[in-house]
Amino acid sequence: MSGHSHAEGVLPHEPEKATLEGRNKVLGFWLFLGGETVLFGTLFSVFIALRDQVNGGPTANELFSLPVVAAATLILLTSSLTSVFAIQAMHRNQTKATVNWLVVTVLLGLAFLGLEIYEFVEYAHHGHTFAASAFSTSFYSLVGFHGGHVAFGILWISLLIWQVLRRGITLHTAPKVYVAGLYWHFIDVVWVFIFSVVYLMGKVG
Amino acid sequence: MTAEHAAAAEQPKKRVKHEGPKKHIIAYIFSLVLTILAFAVVVTGEVRASFVYAMLVLMACVQVFIQMAFWMHMKDRGHTFPIIGILSGVVIVFTMIIMAVYWTWW
Amino acid sequence: MAHGSHAVKRYKGILDWLTTVDHKKIGILYLLAGGFFFLIGGLEAILIRIQLWKPMNDFVSPDTFNELITMHGTTMIFLGVMPVIFGLMNCIVPLQIGARDVAFPFVNALGFWTFFFGGLLLNISWLTGHVPDAGWTSYVPLASTTFSNGPGVDYYVLGLQISGIGSLLGGINFLVTIINMRAPGMSFMRMPMFTWATFVTSLLILLAFPALTVGLVALMFDRLFGGNFFDPSAGGNIMLWEHIFWIFGHPEVYILILPAFGIISEVVTTFSRKRLFGYSSMVFATVLIGFLGFMVWAHHMFTSGLGPVANALFSIATMLIAVPTGIKVFNWLFTMWGGSIKFTSPMLFAIGFIPTFVMGGVTGVMLAAAPADYQYHDSYFVVGHFHYTIVGGLVSGLFAGVHYWWPKIFGRKLNETLGKLTFWFFIIGFHLTFFVQHFLGLTGMQRRIYTYLDGMGFNEMNLISTIGAITMGVGVIFFLINVIVTSAKPRTATNDPWEDGRTLEWAISSPAPEYNFAQLPLIRGYDCYWKEKMEGNREMQPAEPLGPIHMPSPSILPFIMSVGLFIAGFGFIYHQHIVAAAGLAVTLICMMLRSVIEDHGYHIEPEEIQAKGVKA
Repeated sequence: MSGHSHAEGVLPHEPEKATLEGRNKVLGFWLFLGGETVLFGTLFSVFIALRDQVNGGPTANELFSLPVVAAATLILLTSSLTSVFAIQAMHRNQTKATVNWLVVTVLLGLAFLGLEIYEFVEYAHHGHTFAASAFSTSFYSLVGFHGGHVAFGILWISLLIWQVLRRGITLHTAPKVYVAGLYWHFIDVVWVFIFSVVYLMGKVG
Repeated sequence: MTAEHAAAAEQPKKRVKHEGPKKHIIAYIFSLVLTILAFAVVVTGEVRASFVYAMLVLMACVQVFIQMAFWMHMKDRGHTFPIIGILSGVVIVFTMIIMAVYWTWW
Repeated sequence: MAHGSHAVKRYKGILDWLTTVDHKKIGILYLLAGGFFFLIGGLEAILIRIQLWKPMNDFVSPDTFNELITMHGTTMIFLGVMPVIFGLMNCIVPLQIGARDVAFPFVNALGFWTFFFGGLLLNISWLTGHVPDAGWTSYVPLASTTFSNGPGVDYYVLGLQISGIGSLLGGINFLVTIINMRAPGMSFMRMPMFTWATFVTSLLILLAFPALTVGLVALMFDRLFGGNFFDPSAGGNIMLWEHIFWIFGHPEVYILILPAFGIISEVVTTFSRKRLFGYSSMVFATVLIGFLGFMVWAHHMFTSGLGPVANALFSIATMLIAVPTGIKVFNWLFTMWGGSIKFTSPMLFAIGFIPTFVMGGVTGVMLAAAPADYQYHDSYFVVGHFHYTIVGGLVSGLFAGVHYWWPKIFGRKLNETLGKLTFWFFIIGFHLTFFVQHFLGLTGMQRRIYTYLDGMGFNEMNLISTIGAITMGVGVIFFLINVIVTSAKPRTATNDPWEDGRTLEWAISSPAPEYNFAQLPLIRGYDCYWKEKMEGNREMQPAEPLGPIHMPSPSILPFIMSVGLFIAGFGFIYHQHIVAAAGLAVTLICMMLRSVIEDHGYHIEPEEIQAKGVKA
């Protein structure tokens, strides 16, 4: 039932779902993402309720610069695709390609994070600090929670890269990589709503 | 346990067809186009704000649907409970958005 | 076979309990810790009632009274009854579905320890002298720094945040266990009602607790980092907190009551010695209550000025819940109808539950009428209502469940005489305490007020209420005596100590062996053990040959991770951000260790199982 009941060296087609432990992990993570949906949904609804309350500070329209947001969006979207390639390489049992695609994903994630930090520092210079207004507090909470998820994902996937390098793709490492891939896609999905609702709608209003 | 053994034993004999990158790249291009469209509507659009809002939400939903179906494999078999989990989350988020829009300020 | 490659780690004594990942031991830990916090909450309730027994009493100061009501509500709901529910789920659900373990034993342990240290953090506030005092709902602006300066409310925010992580983890664990780990033949529509209730409850936990997480984070940001979510002077909105709290808070009350419904269904069928009436309608009603539970949160806010449209919508949605609940009540009655009923102590609690809960439901429908609610709002009528559902309903249900499953968990049957004494003192005391509170409310007594004037017509009813509360306390003391007396007895409980067990947990020894089932059973129908008994089989049919059983290794990491969160909580409360960061670092490092150290557990060999007297 567990890992070692399979012959050495032969991995099933989808190694992440070959063991009960793996299937449990994938399903449990999906359900966790259901909870994360509510978590971000609550943050979104709070932001929507408070986004016009600028308290005399800069409005969303004055503040946001779309080129930076577009660049961040492109980076994160591409990183989601590279994590798909990593999983596909894992299914083909190509350790090296898996690691390479994961490294690309992490690098793109770091670029995104750097861009976000740059953006936040810029906003703070314009008086848009965390404690400035209800708008700023809810903005930093929503986008910051997402950024925190990106940072956690970078640490997590880096740790997994190290494990795959040491142990190769096994029935134990495969579910971990697959689940981290799901997590990374979810981060991108949340970002789609962030750039639509926070940034683009902010530019319209 | 026995079923898993059998499945594992069959693996080397049967030639497994791995899915290629093609449809994922198509999903990427679709996402890219939808993103560019969303930005374009805002940058160039002189239409009414409510229409732009609706367009933005619609395009975001389509893009997320594509990504979840293909990249997160939600369209594949065996994803009943993931779909139930995510959809119940979405229903609750929907009520919360209504709350935020209609029942916070009066 | 290639296993057995590394040594089995086994700890003894206290370290065994700190490192255990066995769901049955974690269940016992939940019962112990939940029982402990339940006693603290009960003590606070008695102190509240002593303060209110006569007009203008000065037994406690107004400030202390505020702290008492806040901590009573918070402790009872989050640290008292929820852990006891989790305890029963842990002990029973894997046995009911024929699983050897839960899906995530490590996460299960982590869930317990985060709950425990969150609860500890909250209650340590009594020792530091800064006790939360803004009510269990912690409404802003009362809970904001303007009106609640000092660390009191921060204990509430961080204590609940940490214990909330535990609830979320527990919910995911049970969902995956029930979806993925049912024994062969155990289809969804053959699952016992308690397992169904656990399933729906876990889904509610999964979807409701993240909202609380965000709410508490927002309150924490406002209080500690100068955020403006709920500060109207900087554009914030106080209604947001009420909405977020109740979007979580209303599903929470169904998280509490659905498991009780499940327990009552089990107890009523067993001791009526009849199949549950309307099983599929029962399942349907459980799911429907779960769904509707999310759509009614604003009925707590009728008087906040939502407007007639919202009030009407939430009124109707709330009244709709009476329909599935009514289905359940009638199903229990029809199950008992024509059954050969045994009046054991769990059955007494179950029979007491039904009319009591119906009364709580009826006042619920009264409160659901928005115009009438303007009259009842924040009065003792509301206090009476929710204690009828939570104490008369849920706590009765938990007592029924604890008496019913005690032999399966501990291997000893509780004393029946003491159990019946517990029941009579508890139920009489309960109705004395809370029935009069409806009328106190209708006469105009407000909740959360520390005293009242003479000559308002409140004196006699408050005295009756206090006497009732003490009577309930006596009932609980009988239960404690029962526990102590029973623990001194030898473990003599048979597999099926009530002799009428219907579900799978009664097919194995009491207490269950650490691997639960030597061979996974084949489930051939609803009430599977009863079915085998009716066909003359003394045991379940095995679905697999005897083989080595995989077991997870014990681990101290869940404990250390929770200690890290506990330290971080303290750091945040007292603005020592280095301490907070250190605590979080401990937790994060433990997470990394958990990922990096591959521990595949160990196996119990068939010879070892046979040595314990299991036939191959």
